[in-house]
Amino acid sequence: MDLYLTSEQALLRDSAAKFIEAAGPKAARGFRAQDPSFSAPRLRHAGELGWLGILVPGAAGGLGLGLTELALVLEQAGRGLVCEPIGLAAISAAALGQGRTPHPVLDRAMTGAALIVPAFQESAHGDDPLAPRTHVAGEDGALRLTGKKMFVCADGADGFLVNARGRDGPALCYVARNAPGCTLSRTQTVEGRKLATLTLTDAPADLIPPHSSSRNAVDALHNLVLLALSSELLGVMEKANEITLDYLRLRKQFGKPIGSFQALQHQAANIYVRIEATRSLVFQIAANNDAFCIDPATAIALKAKASEDAMIVTEACIQLHGAIGFTDEHDIGLYLKRAMLLSALFGNAAAQRRRYIAAADLTA
Amino acid sequence: MFRRDALDEAQYRMDVRTWLEANLPVALRGRTTRPSPLELMPWYHTLSRKGWIAPHWPRQYGGMGATLNEQIIMAEELARIGAPHLPVQGLNHIGPILMEFGTAAQKAQHLPPIIAGTVIWAQGYSEPGAGSDLASLSTRATLEGDHFVVQGHKIWTTWAHHSDWMFALVRTDPRAQPRQAGISFLLVDLRSPGIRISPIKTIAGDDEFSEVFLDEVIVPAENLVGKLNDGWRIANALLGHERLATSNPQFSLTALERIKTMARASGIIADPAFQDRLAAASINVTALSAMFSHAVELTNHEKSLGPESSVIKIFGSELLQALNDLLIEAAGGHALADRPIATDFGEVDVATPFLQSRRVTIYGGSSEIQRNVLARRVLDLPT
Ligand SMILES: Cc1cc2nc3c(=O)[nH]c(=O)nc-3n(C[C@H](O)[C@H](O)[C@H](O)COP(=O)(O)OP(=O)(O)OC[C@H]3O[C@@H](n4cnc5c(N)ncnc54)[C@H](O)[C@@H]3O)c2cc1C
Repeated sequence: MDLYLTSEQALLRDSAAKFIEAAGPKAARGFRAQDPSFSAPRLRHAGELGWLGILVPGAAGGLGLGLTELALVLEQAGRGLVCEPIGLAAISAAALGQGRTPHPVLDRAMTGAALIVPAFQESAHGDDPLAPRTHVAGEDGALRLTGKKMFVCADGADGFLVNARGRDGPALCYVARNAPGCTLSRTQTVEGRKLATLTLTDAPADLIPPHSSSRNAVDALHNLVLLALSSELLGVMEKANEITLDYLRLRKQFGKPIGSFQALQHQAANIYVRIEATRSLVFQIAANNDAFCIDPATAIALKAKASEDAMIVTEACIQLHGAIGFTDEHDIGLYLKRAMLLSALFGNAAAQRRRYIAAADLTA
Repeated sequence: MFRRDALDEAQYRMDVRTWLEANLPVALRGRTTRPSPLELMPWYHTLSRKGWIAPHWPRQYGGMGATLNEQIIMAEELARIGAPHLPVQGLNHIGPILMEFGTAAQKAQHLPPIIAGTVIWAQGYSEPGAGSDLASLSTRATLEGDHFVVQGHKIWTTWAHHSDWMFALVRTDPRAQPRQAGISFLLVDLRSPGIRISPIKTIAGDDEFSEVFLDEVIVPAENLVGKLNDGWRIANALLGHERLATSNPQFSLTALERIKTMARASGIIADPAFQDRLAAASINVTALSAMFSHAVELTNHEKSLGPESSVIKIFGSELLQALNDLLIEAAGGHALADRPIATDFGEVDVATPFLQSRRVTIYGGSSEIQRNVLARRVLDLPT
């Protein structure tokens, strides 16, 4: 289904579509196992376009736009298999710029000169972001972080936004990559990107205050992460589906295009229904929520749905290609791997469903 | 959930809710099968006197001329209080069709009784040999001077045994190619000689639909709607709106509440495996709500959904069935009871809504037909 967009929103989407022309499978392949696994100049280019400050208020030097605009850009990033972590960078900048006095690293985060990413996960299955084991001690101005964060998108990162248990409940903290007591151990993924375990031992940190409209800074950023990853997953599914539909029209067996076989037509229809469901969710949530006060149950529902749909859709796309889809040479596999990465980050579909039960008060 | 009422809409919602609470008889609330006309039609007449029977009809024909949002609010409030399903063939099908394609005389004769609820209509499209392949229908109508003679057999006709009139697709040109070009749209008085109606019991135990046998039935020529052999276009003109109306997430939300009550009563709510499925189902209900408000938003901006309305029909109907599967699971051994189950949390009807839900992927174009439509007309796949 079409989206109903303002002309400014349509323009933004079009400029994002233009940006990704230079990305795509070929570029993504080139970054596999590189260090960092993306182009730093391209990240700065996204900064020049304003996208890294898309949610940051105008007064703090950002574009001051909303979730719909964020989702439109990230949907394109997903379509283009963009390797620059635009989504994580943009929502981290939003968090850095939410207090009355923005954090000093904000300006560089918005230009792309510095890459700041959230580091929340403490287990393989997603956790309650409001109950981390990592803790923060000390007085304001001299805070120290201790704990361990997993699956951090630390490639090329200059700093992290960490959720930690503080004296007055969960707190959001900024810690610099090169801070004393901050070590990274990295693992290569099948997707090409490296994920890292971040170990913090009495690492000096700054407190990031919550936005005036949010319940808590950790909660606000976590919900933004779920929306950002889901928007990208949507784009990944869309493009994988388009590639597959082209193949169904082109590839002939038994003397006709395989897309004329009803079994495959119904598979294609199933894929489409899944994509449309996630699409409606992404954009209805974006249109109806304040950026710093997304309803947690809704954000969790979205990440659950997007993660599940993206896996099912990209798996089906491989099947519809036959053996060629199983080759490293064919692009369709890249979409499956990107779906694997984004689905797993911050908790896969099953992990989200587990959290959803409490968040949506299902058993009460 | 995703649509927020504007101020005046919120006021309208409160007005509707208050009035329904005061006026809908308690015995008619939360029924899973449609009550008999004797029980149901007084409620129809009450809504009619209030002026709320046809929110979507223009005022000139006795409707409310309500906006799309107001129509949805009304539907949501009716679902919320558990109002029974009314006979809608007049209100949703033949009424709007006559407004668009009927003659002045046809409108004058048929529209007021629909509003008043003095005439009940049935839809005579399907036949024993023509279901999904509706264009193959063979009930014959032969024009003889000032009347048609109709010979044939309609089936699955909802509420025909309680109806006064039937709008029907009939074959008026057996040689036409394509076959769609030989079909006309007729209004048939079900009291005419030569008509025999026999109810068919459904798996849910009610007699929701019937067979209609037509043996040399005389139908006046002025009962033809539109031109001769133009019936196919007329029957298909209003399909998109219908799919949207039947996908209102309120039905799924009601089903979800029923599952939660049953699961709490049976204790299965504490089982992690059940919780996972409940979470998945509930997440899909959220997705359906999002799809629905997305579709409403587009319709409000006058972008017609067209064949894309199949997406929401597939998702909504299959979700409703998945929810009812979960209801059966939540009830466990109680699931087979032929009446509502008494629990500490109130009565829960299980078997009936489950059995009823089997129909939603069959009527209004089966799920398979909807997938064909998507594949060919939206995804542009070859034939
Ligand atoms: C509760 C209920 C109320 C109804 N009320 C009315 C009414 O008031 N008036 C009326 O006219 N009709 C009514 N119908 C009939 C309904 O429109 C038909 O049941 C429907 O069109 C399917 O036709 P069929 O039952 O003959 O199934 P068939 O067309 O015989 O289909 C059997 C199976 O084959 C599948 N199939 C058929 N063709 C294809 C294809 N090309 N590709 C893939 N799969 C295919 C179908 O999806 C289905 O699964 C009602 C049906 C129900 C269940």
